[in-house]
Amino acid sequence: MNGVFMKTLTGLIAAGSVLATAASAQTIAIMDGTVHTVSGGVIENGDVIIRDGRIAQVGADLSAPSGATVIDASGKIVTPGLIAPYTNIGLVEIGLDNEANDSSPQEGFPLGAALNAVDAFNPDSTVIPVNRASGVTRALSAPNSGDTLFGGKAALVDLSGAPGSVMRADLAQTAAMGYGGASRTGDTRMGAWAVMREYLDEARSYQANPNDYVRRPRSDRMMLSDIKALVPVVSGEQPLLVAIDGAADIRTLIRLKNTYRLRVIILGALEGWRVADELAAANIPVIVSGTANLPDQFEELSATLQNAARLHEAGVQIAFYETNDTTHNARLIRQHAGNAVAEGLPYDAAIAALTLNAARMLGVADQLGSLQPGRVADVVIWDGDPLEVTTVPEAVFIDGRPQDLNNRQRMLMERYRDLDRGDLPHAYRGGE
Amino acid sequence: MQNVRWTALAVLMLSACSQQNAGQSETATETEQTAESPADATAPSRSTAETGEVAERPPLDPYPSTYERYPGETVLITGAMVLTGTGERIDNGSVLLQDGKIAAVGAADAVAAPDDAATINADGKWVTPGVIDIHSHLGDYPSPSTASTSDGNEVVGPNTAYVWAEHSVWPQDAGFTRALAGGVTSLQVLPGSANLFGGRTTTLKNVPSRSVQGMKFPGAPYGLKMACGENPKRIYGNSGGPGTRMGNFAGYRSAWIEAQGYKKKWDDYWADYEEWQNDDSNDKGDAPESPARDLKLETLAGALRGDIVVNMHCYRGDEMVQVLDLANEFGYKVTTFHHAIEAYKVADYLAENEVCAAVWADWWGFKLEAYDTVSENAALVHAQPGGCAIIHSDDSRGIQRLNQEAAKAMAAGRRIGIDIGPEDAVAWFTANPAKAMGIIDQTGTLEAGKMADVVIWNQNPFSVYARAEQVFIDGALMFDRNDPSLSPRMDFEIGQRDNGFTGGAGQ
Repeated sequence: MNGVFMKTLTGLIAAGSVLATAASAQTIAIMDGTVHTVSGGVIENGDVIIRDGRIAQVGADLSAPSGATVIDASGKIVTPGLIAPYTNIGLVEIGLDNEANDSSPQEGFPLGAALNAVDAFNPDSTVIPVNRASGVTRALSAPNSGDTLFGGKAALVDLSGAPGSVMRADLAQTAAMGYGGASRTGDTRMGAWAVMREYLDEARSYQANPNDYVRRPRSDRMMLSDIKALVPVVSGEQPLLVAIDGAADIRTLIRLKNTYRLRVIILGALEGWRVADELAAANIPVIVSGTANLPDQFEELSATLQNAARLHEAGVQIAFYETNDTTHNARLIRQHAGNAVAEGLPYDAAIAALTLNAARMLGVADQLGSLQPGRVADVVIWDGDPLEVTTVPEAVFIDGRPQDLNNRQRMLMERYRDLDRGDLPHAYRGGE
Repeated sequence: MQNVRWTALAVLMLSACSQQNAGQSETATETEQTAESPADATAPSRSTAETGEVAERPPLDPYPSTYERYPGETVLITGAMVLTGTGERIDNGSVLLQDGKIAAVGAADAVAAPDDAATINADGKWVTPGVIDIHSHLGDYPSPSTASTSDGNEVVGPNTAYVWAEHSVWPQDAGFTRALAGGVTSLQVLPGSANLFGGRTTTLKNVPSRSVQGMKFPGAPYGLKMACGENPKRIYGNSGGPGTRMGNFAGYRSAWIEAQGYKKKWDDYWADYEEWQNDDSNDKGDAPESPARDLKLETLAGALRGDIVVNMHCYRGDEMVQVLDLANEFGYKVTTFHHAIEAYKVADYLAENEVCAAVWADWWGFKLEAYDTVSENAALVHAQPGGCAIIHSDDSRGIQRLNQEAAKAMAAGRRIGIDIGPEDAVAWFTANPAKAMGIIDQTGTLEAGKMADVVIWNQNPFSVYARAEQVFIDGALMFDRNDPSLSPRMDFEIGQRDNGFTGGAGQ
């Protein structure tokens, strides 16, 4: 682990540096809501007490501690903050503007695995408040593959927009396989797997004897920084997040995982339902779309809206991502989950996919994803069913701090709501 | 059979319930010539001149629709919450479908059904007009999406007004079936937005056919796709231009000037020809020589005449205002701005000029001109007196849930105090696109006499959980969620991977 950044002191500090910021001392009592604890069922007329940035108590008929800010949540739904398990948040402000898109290197750039999202992550991105206002409190900020199979290291961030919002750097390495990999290795899947194995073998060589490795002539080794970056992957401490869709490709990935004893998370898995039992047996979690159902590629012919439901049914851990724009509209994971419910996924499993299961696959379920004492107080109070497209958060807490739900989109709407000429141009309105 | 002249004015007028025949037997060559017929684009004139030589006018539509409705029984849908698309909401309403048409709509106790009618008890369900997507590339960018099948953008130059989207439509696109399961009964397929002038659009009924002609919406006017802003200058900036927004405008204006000249040449020719034809003298000489046809200019001249509906891809408000002046400069009409991320900034201009804004609920940020979206965009357009908001997809997944996209936009508007109910917002994906596509006389609302394009939803369609249960097109039940035999599957999906488990509507 290179660096571990946490905004709050916890009893579970991994090796590495810890940046502890003073946790808000505010005590908040959210009373009488329908509380989805996720880890312990639903509490009707439930209360959630937040103290020092953590969940202090969850239950029914609790009393608000003296001095607490009391929020009446009757008639409202209370859930953990949503976790978007795959985004380019903080790396992409404008997709088509190279200067404002740091998600992947341009063609011809030699490095991949060595790239680190945390180096470029911009907490000032306007994407953050927009998604926060829709209930997303944490996201994996991940780079995308350029010329090599590997995109680089992804970081788990909170959506406070604060300078210290990187919670955990180097959380996962990213890779594109299936045709996405093949297109980077001579347009053949065989090439992609061969190159993948070569990288992993090199990382093992380096790990076994770094001095020997660096003494090799440059022509006899791969890019050193990429190989170094893959050591945590081959040692099994860092998951490899692999974008892959086809059933046949997934089976090969399972073989590779077993051979190299990797930790793997799959992104996409459009045909995952056809290998659901194998995925469950291999203990591979998947991040899926709730709306992808077109035979767009030959590796996606079995894409179906029932993918999430069938994977869950087989015991595979699922979370959601938005495929059209995984960054600006990371907020749409709710709509994906809702659609998956309409197609057979149990409601509670959909809520878990947006919270606890996303936390589990990212290895942070001891901190995030459920409402239980000791957990980080990322909490959302919704004005209705959180999976419904017409619902919005009324309040969002990150690390126990109430968040501003205002954002650039809302300000623009306010500025132009009234199109009357007025005494001064629109440029003089709003934005104070 | 009444003949429709598709002028921009007609396209923009919400005509009262018309009794028009869907025109299944009409072909362009039977179109009766009227005094105001377009000069270079009507049926051959039947001359009685004894010369035996008759100048042939190019037909309006040389690839005429061969769509025919499939049989449907007389059906009474009863006990439903009915959203008519006209702003009306009927609790415990009934809709009677007969001979492919909507025969009656009203309160359940006010709609009488003939004895032979099959009754669908839709208690607790909702009924809307068929969903219409004004912005689709289905068929042109089909599934599977490979280099072999990507036929939506003729990226060879900034003005390709000579291409017709229908000539790229692959009727076997599996996307059509998925859209059907989302309630889509009609759609406009546009060429892509790489060019200043992308080409002609086509309007289809979402009924599988072996040919695109078998899908073409009878009597629908042609559209022209144009694009502003980033795309053309990005694509042609290093290959001859335009390389700037001013270059874009120079490109539009030069093309329109050329089209005006072309139009005049043909107008003059036909005037001369008629004069020659009507000349009874013996020494009238040879018939005047006709100008050369030009596919590109034929389309542009059609737009200038108002026969072809102009669809403008435009994101920024300031650009939309410039385009309105451009249209005034050359005397044509922009019917719809597509994407229109900043429509809310100029919603008053759009309403005054009777232009619709076809928008997404929440896409943004993929390029700088799409940076300033607001969730209330559609609602703010709708809130203007005379405002016309449309929810469009531009996407093979989005087209499957335009109801959900509209729900997001409606809810955003309601939260800032704009009074929009389901009975209003349903028009965003039914009546308003029909109006903007020039087919409102035939479909887009539940009114007696119109095509029986109807969706029965299992619940309020403005919900993420809503599913289209049954979809009727011209009175024929084309999709039934509970009947696998009514789930079309395209050729490409046959025999693939556990056939029987994959493919088909909804999937």
